[in-house]
Amino acid sequence: MNHLLQNILAFTLLFLALGFLVKKFFWKNSKPTKDIGKHDCDNCH
Amino acid sequence: MSKQINVALIGNPNTGKTSVFNSLTGLNQKVGNYPGITVEKKEGICKLPRGVKAHIIDLPGTYSLNASSLDENVVIELLLNKNDKDFPDVAVVVSDVENLKRNLLLFTQIKDLEIPTVLVINMSDRMKYKGISLDIPYLESQLQTKIALVSTRKNEGIDNLKTLISNYKELSITPCLNASEIDKEYFDNLRKAFPNQLLYKLWLVITQDVNFGKTDRNEIDAVADFKTKTKADLKRLQQKETIKRYQFINNTLKKGQTIDLSTAKDLRIKLDRILTHKIWGYAIFLVILLTIFQAIYDWSAIPMDFIDSSFASLSEWTKNSLPEGAFTSLLAEGIIPGLGGIVIFIPQIAFLFLFISVLEESGYMSRVVFLMDRGMRRFGLSGKSVVPLISGTACAIPAIMATRNIESWKERLITILVTPFTTCSARLPVYLIIISLVIPEGRFLGLGYQALTLMLLYLIGFGAALISAMILNKVLKIKSKSFFVVEMPNYKLPLIKNVALTVVEKTKSFVFGAGKIILAISIVLWFLASYGPGEEFNNAEEIVTEKFASKHLTEEELQNEIASQKLEYSFIGLTGRAIEPAIRPLGYDWKIGIAIVSSFAAREVFVGTLATIYSVGSDEEETIKNRMAGEVNPILGGPLFNFASGISLLLFYAFAMQCMSTLAIVKRETNSWKWPILQLVLMSVFAYVVAFIAFQILI
Repeated sequence: MNHLLQNILAFTLLFLALGFLVKKFFWKNSKPTKDIGKHDCDNCH
Repeated sequence: MSKQINVALIGNPNTGKTSVFNSLTGLNQKVGNYPGITVEKKEGICKLPRGVKAHIIDLPGTYSLNASSLDENVVIELLLNKNDKDFPDVAVVVSDVENLKRNLLLFTQIKDLEIPTVLVINMSDRMKYKGISLDIPYLESQLQTKIALVSTRKNEGIDNLKTLISNYKELSITPCLNASEIDKEYFDNLRKAFPNQLLYKLWLVITQDVNFGKTDRNEIDAVADFKTKTKADLKRLQQKETIKRYQFINNTLKKGQTIDLSTAKDLRIKLDRILTHKIWGYAIFLVILLTIFQAIYDWSAIPMDFIDSSFASLSEWTKNSLPEGAFTSLLAEGIIPGLGGIVIFIPQIAFLFLFISVLEESGYMSRVVFLMDRGMRRFGLSGKSVVPLISGTACAIPAIMATRNIESWKERLITILVTPFTTCSARLPVYLIIISLVIPEGRFLGLGYQALTLMLLYLIGFGAALISAMILNKVLKIKSKSFFVVEMPNYKLPLIKNVALTVVEKTKSFVFGAGKIILAISIVLWFLASYGPGEEFNNAEEIVTEKFASKHLTEEELQNEIASQKLEYSFIGLTGRAIEPAIRPLGYDWKIGIAIVSSFAAREVFVGTLATIYSVGSDEEETIKNRMAGEVNPILGGPLFNFASGISLLLFYAFAMQCMSTLAIVKRETNSWKWPILQLVLMSVFAYVVAFIAFQILI
């Protein structure tokens, strides 16, 4: 049971991490932006 | 509920606007971005008398409302759009007592938008040194405003300013200049066409080079039934407006301001002569750089060791205290070492920004820009390229944005293409860990070899940018001309509060910004390193036990061999080994290969990746540095991170375009995939070749 709970927690974190990375680097923002872009360097460094 | 008003803090650059903002808001401030653009938005809350709260926005510095850059657009866009949620109830224009004449131009423009405006005359403590005296009641009557004489350095006048802001309803909104005076016939027609609009606002919309929000200048042209002016005519009228404003300002200051040069004591000219001297200027700059890099190393050694060992202990404690299982391993071997890989660099990052902030606050940085301009032209760059190249030491993204004020397309393109060579703060963690592993700790003339290497890497980055600029200048056949103007602010003792706020803000954004990515990548890497396909991974224990049956290994040695076998046949091990042939000639193994690939998201991920890979399966309490130092080269034997492979890795990171975000911004700024792809291919090939040559020579 303990192992099952540990696996659920670990895999939940994995999916959250993958979701965050996909959103961060591969998700196209559908909102129109001004000509300079929407990048915020503080978010990646 | 207490009432809240919007206050816009506006002023020319170098007037101490941010110091006034810091004095008003203290720590009640936050920094973000304007929606859709990378212009910094600083806002904060200030308590005013009678229970009124002020929401204060520190707008980007601008010389006038005739916008020529994206920063300046932000100011005018807000002031023209009454529907904006941040539209100010009152504008506070900050001026510098020594440059009152020039600063008042912006004040008169804002006043003419009929926004209640308070004038702050800052740096009042310098009046006696400069022999300046002001007739405040006269100035207030001529400018039809209230004036706050402020010294942020001595914390004087801030309470008076708060009172003036809270009494904003009593401020006159009478314009300083009658807009019709610019061109009576044209403005009369404009008034007839738009009877309900403020004339000066219309004029600003018509004369700007871009459209602002919902106020479109083409609409004005379309609605007006009179002949619109040509661009040249509009420029001429803008000049006429500026002359009229200065006539008004000169008349006001003639009686309101007295300057007695005989009582002025000024060191500025003498200092400028030395600091911008064509030999001494460079020598002093070099000494300052050496001191900075040495101090970064000397001062941060103790806190770094403490952080490193704390994370190692935390990881060990987690492993021993929590029940055994996947989640515990993920915490102890994935997340904690991964985060340790970024937190460890907080002291050095903080010290770097401390020095940069002190140099900027003191006014010295502008002298450096001026000094560098001379050399820049020889490399086909503009003096304006210095700012992107220097700000590239923090991050290439805003640096590339900063090229927008370079008028010549050729110079701008060259600057965009070469800026990623300058050593950004994301390279710093990679440099620091590799240097600490492969460069000895000895000293030469009091300067540590490690600090000298770090400085050399900064110089190599800057040199690579200049040389590639020179080559691009010859290769690119685009004709253009440009000029360079830089304002030299007065020398000032840096305000501790301003410096501290900058250091905290920059370090925080570095740690939290990178931290999120590193945390996510650490989790993914842990999974890839802890699971694998095939028999070699799943039956690792049986295979290793059988393989070493005759060698009588201790239990610990056997466990290490099993962990090693599992890592080698895990998903990450198989991927790493697939790319290993390509990187082996540079002196790297597959683990470094994985770190290089993952750090394409952000360079600093490199250290976190290695920390996670080396932690998986390891039971010992070890620091990141010791784990890396203990790695053995599987082919050549001996330490994996030796002088040859270390230098090769440093040079690879110095030249490689390891940043997805920079490529994206180059694409956006050049409006083409051609330039970022060219940049990626050329920089990567160059980095590979240099790293290859370095390793083969040094091995």
